[in-house]
Amino acid sequence: MPDGEIKVLDVRGEICPYPMLITNDELDKKQPGVLALDVLTDHAPALSTIPPQALKRGYEVEIDEVRAGEWLVHLTKS
Amino acid sequence: MLNSLETEVSPKSPNPLIPVSGQTLAGFGVAAAGLGAAYLIGREDAETGAIWLLALAFGFTLQRARFCFAAAFRDLFLFGSAQNMKGVLVGMAVSTLGFAAIMYWLVSKPGSGSLPHEAHILPVGISVVVAGLVFGVGMVIAGGCVSGTLYRMAEGYVTSWVTMFGILVGLAGISLTWNWWWDHLIINEPKIWLPATGGLGYSGAVALTLVALVGIYVLLTWWEARSGIYSPSISRKVTGIPGFTDRLSHSLSSVFKNGWPVAIGGAVLGFIAVVMYTIHMPLGVTGELLFLSQQALGVLGVNDIVMKGLADMGGCTGLISDGFINHNFAVTIGLMPGALMGALFAGEFRIRYPRVIRRYFQAAGGGVLMGYAAGLGIGCTLGAFFSAIPSLSVAGWVFGLSLAGGAFFGTKILKRLG
Repeated sequence: MPDGEIKVLDVRGEICPYPMLITNDELDKKQPGVLALDVLTDHAPALSTIPPQALKRGYEVEIDEVRAGEWLVHLTKS
Repeated sequence: MLNSLETEVSPKSPNPLIPVSGQTLAGFGVAAAGLGAAYLIGREDAETGAIWLLALAFGFTLQRARFCFAAAFRDLFLFGSAQNMKGVLVGMAVSTLGFAAIMYWLVSKPGSGSLPHEAHILPVGISVVVAGLVFGVGMVIAGGCVSGTLYRMAEGYVTSWVTMFGILVGLAGISLTWNWWWDHLIINEPKIWLPATGGLGYSGAVALTLVALVGIYVLLTWWEARSGIYSPSISRKVTGIPGFTDRLSHSLSSVFKNGWPVAIGGAVLGFIAVVMYTIHMPLGVTGELLFLSQQALGVLGVNDIVMKGLADMGGCTGLISDGFINHNFAVTIGLMPGALMGALFAGEFRIRYPRVIRRYFQAAGGGVLMGYAAGLGIGCTLGAFFSAIPSLSVAGWVFGLSLAGGAFFGTKILKRLG
């Protein structure tokens, strides 16, 4: 886990497949790669679509519900 | 290509699991209203009441499993993920066994020329292929199929209401143009029912269907492996051995709070479909929506719409029943309080607006395509696919393959749109 602020990618309001597409785009656009990213979503199906994509890119995934119907998906490079 | 939509939110905010008692209370309210409505409807007609109850369970299951036919097809091509499609396959396998038993009870000699009443055995031909392709494109662009749109309307997605408007417009379009399709194509297209084909009988048809479903399951597993996709369950932090109340709350959470594994959702949907068929008919929502869109056309002054051959067609749109509160109404409208209940108990209900205006146009456009195609195909992903393959109908397979083709083109368009 790097020091300092972890960037929050806010994809609230987006429905499938956009939360995952935008997350993938964020993870893929920077080289050598993002060390950690928090994705904020209010679309429950994204909780099962983002993790497999992140795992494929070598990230660990943890999910927290921050309030009713809103989740933070923590992605950290393992 | 894609716009990154970033706003700074304090990442250090605490993450407690806030109990949303307001939503839970509202959930009990909706449950009470749903059951009360079942009682009132059932007093008029017991069958309609029973179908309303099943529709509540149906909507609840769709919401809890986040069951999405659009994702099932789309994610195969977009990400190489078959998670949702595997759930669909499980559901159809369950329904196939149940439907076969019911159809055997209705028509014990499949070669006799009669088809089982209400089974979704539809014409096979170009019309189904066109319907599947167009529907597939529409659902991917709109981000949900017809049943998905219905339950997301209940969850508070504003775009889903726009999609529904598009679906009704599309259904009005097919109402006005159906007879062209009928005269040129559908009138000559055969209804092919596997048990009555090539001496297969029930056992042969069921065996063939199950072997095909298992075969596709294996094929999809290979597809996922090839794409490097793996969907593990996200582990939760464990602290010590749980006591009685913890265990109880864990059980409640796994039903009402956490999303269900999609395969469980599929199996439950398959089971609900079988029970619904024992009462009257397989699952389908297109008939009611077609009825509503024609009511709207009537208000606009377009009356006396005659869609040739449709009344004898079977499937979703065949049944024209009397009155407003009938079986089609119960299954279609009833799923919405069921889904709302699921969302409220999970504390997931919220009014969600899209953050990009373009999504409204996608929702409406995709909806129009789906509505038109659901009319042409005599059913949506539910009626002409999920209920048709277990009806041992060849049209279900043709529609399914065409949906996959449409979803493939849909993902291409989606990538262009960004």
